[in-house]
Formats: sequence, C-alpha cells, structure tokens
Amino acid sequence: MRRLLIAVPFLWLLALFIVPFAIVFKISLSDLAVAIPPYTPTLDIAEGWAGLKAFFAELDFENYIWLTEDDLYWKAYLSSFKIAVISTLLTLLVGYPIAYGIARAPQEWRAMLFMLVILPFWTSFLIRVYSWMGILSQEGYLNQVLLWIGVINEPLIILNTNIAVYIGIVYTYLPFMILPIYAALEKLDISLLEAAEDLGCSRFSAFWLVTVPLSKQGIIAGSFLVFIPTIGEFVIPSLLGGSRTLMIGKVLWEEFFSNRDWPVASAVAVVLLLILIIPIVLFQRNEQKQREANQ
Amino acid sequence: MALDVFAPWDDPNAKPLIQFQNVTKRFGDFTAIDDLTVDIFEKEFFALLGPSGCGKTTMMRMLAGFETPTEGKILLAGQDIGAVPPNKRAVNMMFQSYALFPHLSIWENIAFGLKRDKMPKDQIGERVEEMLRLTRLEKFARRKPHQISGGQRQRVALARSLAKAPKLLLLDEPLGALDKKLRQETQFELMDIQETTGTTFVIVTHDQEEAMTVASRVAVMDHGKIIQVSTPDVIYEAPNSTYVADFIGDVNLISGKADPQGDKLHMHWAEGQPAVVGSPLDGATKGQDVHYAIRPEKVSISAEKPENAANAIQGEVHDIAYLGNISTYHVQLPGGQIIKAQSANNRRISRRAFTWEDKVWLSWTDTAGVFLER
Amino acid sequence: MKTSFIALAATMAIGATAATAEEVRVYNWSDYIDEELLTKFQDETGIKLIYDVFDSNDVLETKMLAGNSGYDVVVPSGTFLQRQIAAGAFQKLDKASLSNAGNMWDVIADRTASYDPGNEYSINYMWGTTGIGVNVGKVKEVLGEDAPIGSLALIFDPANMEKLASCGVHVLDAADEMIPAALAYLGENPDSHDKDVIAKTEPLFTAVAPYIQKFHSSEYINALANGDICVAVGWSGDILQARDRAAEAENGVEIAYNAPSEGALMWFDQMAIPVDAPNAEAAHKFLNFIMDAQNMADASNYVYYANGNKASQPLLEEDVIGDPAIYPDEATLENLYTTSPYPPKVQRVVTRMWTKIKSGT
Repeated sequence: MRRLLIAVPFLWLLALFIVPFAIVFKISLSDLAVAIPPYTPTLDIAEGWAGLKAFFAELDFENYIWLTEDDLYWKAYLSSFKIAVISTLLTLLVGYPIAYGIARAPQEWRAMLFMLVILPFWTSFLIRVYSWMGILSQEGYLNQVLLWIGVINEPLIILNTNIAVYIGIVYTYLPFMILPIYAALEKLDISLLEAAEDLGCSRFSAFWLVTVPLSKQGIIAGSFLVFIPTIGEFVIPSLLGGSRTLMIGKVLWEEFFSNRDWPVASAVAVVLLLILIIPIVLFQRNEQKQREANQ
Repeated sequence: MALDVFAPWDDPNAKPLIQFQNVTKRFGDFTAIDDLTVDIFEKEFFALLGPSGCGKTTMMRMLAGFETPTEGKILLAGQDIGAVPPNKRAVNMMFQSYALFPHLSIWENIAFGLKRDKMPKDQIGERVEEMLRLTRLEKFARRKPHQISGGQRQRVALARSLAKAPKLLLLDEPLGALDKKLRQETQFELMDIQETTGTTFVIVTHDQEEAMTVASRVAVMDHGKIIQVSTPDVIYEAPNSTYVADFIGDVNLISGKADPQGDKLHMHWAEGQPAVVGSPLDGATKGQDVHYAIRPEKVSISAEKPENAANAIQGEVHDIAYLGNISTYHVQLPGGQIIKAQSANNRRISRRAFTWEDKVWLSWTDTAGVFLER
Repeated sequence: MKTSFIALAATMAIGATAATAEEVRVYNWSDYIDEELLTKFQDETGIKLIYDVFDSNDVLETKMLAGNSGYDVVVPSGTFLQRQIAAGAFQKLDKASLSNAGNMWDVIADRTASYDPGNEYSINYMWGTTGIGVNVGKVKEVLGEDAPIGSLALIFDPANMEKLASCGVHVLDAADEMIPAALAYLGENPDSHDKDVIAKTEPLFTAVAPYIQKFHSSEYINALANGDICVAVGWSGDILQARDRAAEAENGVEIAYNAPSEGALMWFDQMAIPVDAPNAEAAHKFLNFIMDAQNMADASNYVYYANGNKASQPLLEEDVIGDPAIYPDEATLENLYTTSPYPPKVQRVVTRMWTKIKSGT
C-alpha cells in the first residue's frame, strides 16, 4: 500500500514528463524527411535487434550543433530571458502594492478584493488577450480616451510593440504574483512594524527592513511563477507583439510550422527545458527553505 | 528599593517624567480614555492594572506614539509629545507578542534600534554584548527567534527595548505568555534590571499579583479612568472603593447604613446583628449607605465568642477551601451572607478545629477593615 | 499564421443531429464558406458535418505530416498540396463517385495540374491572387492623389513606406508568397529556387521592414475594415471581405484591392482527402456537393473568391463575376504567375531570411 502511494507520483512524472521528454529528445536527434512523420529514422520493431541497432546508429547531435551555428537561437533565448526578467519585475512592481493593499484591507473586504483579482480567470485567456488588442490598437479604446481627454494629438502605437507584450504579460500573470505575496504579507504581524517604528524606523524604512524581508519568500515564489512560463511564452507575443518581438516560443513555432523541421524544433525545445531547469531547481529550493522556516 | 525613601510622588517639588493632563481618547463613539490626569516619576516602576478594555493598553500606546490623544496633553520631561512620531521618541516598548523580527538573529534584533541611530559599529557591538549579558543570552546571539524558548524570547524583547537606553520603557503584558513558575522568576529579574538600569518602567498588566510584586505604584483602571493610584500596600490595605478592594486580592464586602459614634464609625448591616465597628470615613453622615471591606486573613475564626473583640458575629461553616498552607472558611451568617475567613494551617489536617456545619464565631479588630463610600 | 490556434479553438460543430452515426470532418480556411451550405449538406445527405477552421497552410501541413489528423477533407494551397502528396498524405480521388466532376473549369484545372498532375488527388475549391488592399482615403491623404496603389512600389519603395508607416501597414506572414512578390518587383523569376536570387530580396525587405506594423495573415481583414491600418498585402477575397465589412459599418473607410501591375501570385486552394481519412466515402460526398454548380456559386458569392467551377459562373452575382479583382480579365490573367514548393534546404534559407526580415535577427 505504501509503495503504491509512492508509485503514484512517480508514474505521474513518468507518464507526463519523462516519456514525452524522451520522445522529444529522440526527435531532436533525428533527421528531416518528407514523409509522415516528417523525420527519420522511425523505430521498426518488426526488424528486432538489427532494426534497433540501425535506429540508434542514425541518431546524432547534428541539430544541436546547428543551434550553435546560427545566432538566431541564442539571440532568441537571450531576448526571451530579457523579456521574462523585465516582465517579472514589472509584475512585481504592480502586484506587490495590490497584495499589500489586500493584506491590509479590513477582513470583511478581503474576500471581495480577492474575487476581483481572480475573476478575470473565469474568462478564456484568449478572449482576455484579444480584448487587449481592442484596447491598445490605434483606433482602440485607450487611444480614443486619450485623444478625447486631449493628452495626445496622434494615436499612440502600442499594439504590436514590446510595450503591448509587457502589458499583456503583466496582466495575465499578475494573480500568480499577488497570491504568494499576499500569503506572506497576511502572516505578517502588525506589531513587528510597530516595533520597528518604536526602535527608530520611519514608516518607509520599516517597510524596507521588515515588510520586504518578511515577504521575501512570497516575492521569490511569485517571481518564479511569472518568470518560468513567460520565458517560453508564445501566445501573448504573437497576438500583442510586433514582428520585432523575438522570443524563443516564436522561433520554436517557425521551426515546427514554417520549416516543418521537427528535429530542429525538438532540439530548440530540449535546450529551452534545460535552461528552465535552473530556475525551477532554484524555485524548488526556495519552497523547501520556506517549509523548513515554517516548522 | 526602599519605598519609604523612594517616594517622589509625595514630594511637591519633584518633577514628573510623564504627565497626562486631562487626556481623552475616543475611537469613534467609544471612549477608551476619559479625562485622565496622572503623573509618573523618573525611575518609577509604574503598573497600569485593570481588566481588558479598561484603557490601559491605549494609555501605553499613546505613550509609545501609536495613538494620539483626542483631547488633553501628554508631557515627557515637560515637553508635549503629542505630535512626535514613535521613531522620534526616547521611549521604547516591549510588545506583548515580543514582536521579534523573525528574519534577524538575536544579535541583530538587539542591534536593530542602535543601527537606526547610526551608532558607530564598535559601539553597537559593545552595547549589544552588554544587553546580552544583562539578560543572560550570550550563548544565543547567533540564533533566530524561532530557535529559542519562550522565556528566552521574552528576554530578547526586553534586551532589544532596553538597548537604546530609553528614558521610558513600556512593557505590554510582558509576562503574559510565560507559565506561572517562569513568570514569578522573571518578575524579580525585571525588578533587578529596572534597578540596575535606572530606567522608568511602565507596565501594563491584568494580573494584580504581578502588579503588586513589581511596581512602585499601581494605577487601578476601569472604563478609561484611573480609580486609584498608589503604592501596592495602600492599594491593598486602604482601597478607595469597593471596585479596587474587589479587584485586588480576596475581600469580604458588607453593605449597610453609617452611624458615626465618637471616633468610630458603626455600620448597621442586618436586623438583630451587632453593628460593624471601624475607623471613621470622612464625611460619612448618619444613615448614609456605606460598604465595609475586610480581607479574609484579617478575620479570626473560633468556637467560643472571643472576649474584647471589636467585632464578633456567629455563623455556620458552609464550605472549606484547603490550600495547603492556609484554609479559607466560607461562613454563612444568619442573613445568608457569606464571609470568608482564613487561617494558617499550622496543625495537621486531622486535628483541624472546624468542619462543615459547625457553629463558629468570626471576629476582627476595629482597624482590620475599611469603610468605603462607593 | 500565428493566430491559427485561435482558429483551431473556434471549432464549430454544425447541426444537432447527434443521433446519426455517420459524420464527416472538414478542415477549411477560416471565413471561407457560407455556413448555410454546411446546413444544406447535412440536410441533403443526413451526414453530420464537423467543420473546423485554420488560417495557415503551415498548421494544416503539420497536422497532415503528423498523421491521424482525424479529418476527412482538408484544403491546402497548391504548393503545400504538392509537398504533402509527395509525403504520401493524401489518397487518390475516386472519380466515379464524383458525378459533378464535369462542372470543373479546364483553365484552372490545367494550372492546378502542375501541383497535382492529372488532378488525381484534389479538386479546386477557390483560387485567387495575392495583392494589395488599401484604405483609399488614408493612402491618398498620405501619398497624394497619384499614390501608386496598383503597384508593388507602394510597399517596396521605402519612400512610400516611410509615409505609410504612420497609418499602418500589414504584410502577409507567408515567406512563400512575399518573396515571389519581391522577385517580381525586382524583375526576377518569382518562382526562383536559387538561393542567390532569393537573397536579393533581403535588402528590399530590410529597407521597408521598420515601417511594417505587423506580419500577419488574418488580422488585416479587421484592421483594414476598422481603419486601424491603411495598407495590407493580402489575399484578394480577404481584402474584398474587408471592403464589404467597412461598407456595412458605414465608417467612411473605402477599401480597394489591386493585383499588382508587376505581376501577382495566383494561388489555388485544393480540396483533398487524407490517406487516413476515417470516412472517405462521406468525404467524396462532400466534394461532390461542393462541385455542384449552385453550391459553388453560393460559396463564391459569399466569400468573394473565384472558383474553379465553370458551370457555376452563370449563377454568380454580377459583383463577383463582373469584378476584375475576382475574375481577372484576359490581360491581367496573363500577368499572374504561379509558384512551386521550395525544397527543404531552400525552405530553411527562406524561413531564416524571413525571420531575419521580421525580427531584425
């Protein structure tokens, strides 16, 4: 019984991560072909041992070497990383005050404020991103309002730029930032801030010396929850970004759909996963630390 | 600390450290502090005692600067501190929850306030070491608050609030989270530290025993007002009201009509019973409603009617509470009222004089209790 | 091509005849049929029709090459069809069950035979040209009355594009259509597979890329109609749909479509049956239904694309058959060119160059 319980998560990991990863990794070692599926070799079990040997003999790391030969790939990884970092910081900047506001709001308001944060999630993600296109386009609501107020004379070009991508990412991932920070801030004892003030802190320095360090775990958790999916983000840059928004997700799409080069696309995906393993491990370690601190 | 020597409150020339002048504090419709005036002197160990909701915590928070008076003034060393924010006051507070910073070590917690004062590094180190020695925490300097015991945390909180050598230290239920034995030890430790550092302490507590033990003066509060402020012995022996008498320790209260006779006051309290005789109450007139308060340990219990006793009443043992060193007898008087009498158990229990339903005599001298107007 | 997963998400299951066991799954381009035809097919045959849409050949091809798409009828464009036939993705049509085959137009069939020799695997659904849609008022406001709206110079001359950038230019995100257009502008063979010749187009695109707001293959319909953009390189019927939407909205936007005078790509969307189609018999019924003169006429009248069905022509409305933007005159027809698929090596060069053009990297 006990073994069975342990086996469940392992089977889960095996079925949903290791097996798909092995398949993708195998494709990344294959060669492009005009066929169904569009790569060789494919394993022919009927041929037995000889077939297996022939199969492995044809696999190689050629596609990974290719990734190093064209600067497109590392530039795309780098650009994705940059966009993910900036987005994470912006989300933190917007999310922290919101989380703080909710944590400090009267108890009876919190449930409602929370609803306001979570409610948009009940609508399809695509519809929400699409509505941003309606807001940000040149004839969109934002420009109409700004023109009407008289702040601007010419409509601003926001849609199809990186600014729109950042707006979209911050909007989409905001709850992932707010929830862990709120959880940390909610536990914060108000008397700690009073103690800091009592010992000579201004309100502001009490915030920096007490509130921020004590919500550190929440900030870290929220940042990873935003950073990790953002680096591989595809939908938001495709819909809101311009052609100059270079992200690895789009490169992956092009390898897969335009070049129909599944092996190279798989290699891009494997490398992306390896890059993401670093922050994921750091995230796990942070969670572990938090659990120990709570004991 | 000899109380007969240290009594600045009796010296008309002494300058108070803290003055509450007609201070009122309202939260919406609720009046937490009601037109309160009191002086607290340097080096005092001043206790604010009262049930929860009496306003004692509000008074302390006003001293710390977390609340401002709605009306009236609070002076610290002659200066109005109403507008001074908490971080600019030479006042530190030890919080009921201790409010230790969980992300900092014990050492850093104690150094926290010193660093805010931009004190040179070496001086901070010296001061922190000194505080660690004072509170016997040297071994725990590197630990985090969650790695030490409750008693140690209490000492860290004390060390941290004392580190800046404040003019005034506020202690909010400082021993509330400790178990009884540790609490008693810590009470004496607090007194020692207060004496060593010469800091003025204001302690808030709901525990009358604690207030009586540590304080030079006790202010008994109720509904935003100070009912009585005095030394512990006066509060105990000469409460100014039934509220104070009842709040501090155990007391028998009897109500009746005043009947001044010469240099004594008599009180008629029941048909067919002798009047209670005691020292007079200023301004009491014949027929006025008065109360008589007498502590159980001042009431003697005997089988025979004692001779020459100023007060002697017969009753029946209703209940006996055996407390080890003493026993409390609950004696029912003919009118139904219960009077408690305590006697020391200097004999073995088997040889105890009285048992349930015995007829006994209760007696006390004419100075044992006090008459109270309210 | 990028929004195609939205198209995938917008799956439509037509009809409530869930009880019927037989069903046919059709995968067609978005905005490409009169939905009443779908209902009509169900009513006539009793076969439940499941109709999904896509907006990019790449998405379709990926599904075909992955195999087991589950579709019975798909609609790739000519060059894609050719490559997918080579990969073995389609089955030969059973001509005997296509009684309406005689309706087809030989002018078109001759041209599609270059992708599908003998038209063995596919029938033509629609065909059209790739050209330039303009918001006439805005473009004339920016470039003056004699703006070259009928020429590729409008989009390949940086002097024009610099001015147009302020009102918005969208270009198809399809390298295999845009590169031939650039070659035509340069006077080269649009169907060149020579890497060096193709490379000549790069500086042309690089010069104008900063002024292009977006490379996208479906957003321009709405953007053009709303007045968000003033120029779009796109497919004839899509731009004509934008023209009609703007006219219906009465928002003062006047859209015009032109096949460029330097030559325009002529493309064909072909209906074919995947080799692993679950219900090939129903698929043939659907193809035959589409080849019916009246049905095909209804489809063209609705989507403003020309079709490859000769018999439908008398049934077409005048603003379709009579519009040279849809059914070009002889002279224009002469000026149209077709392309063939790039081999994988050339395809990679083309994609890489296209990425570089779009992103600057």
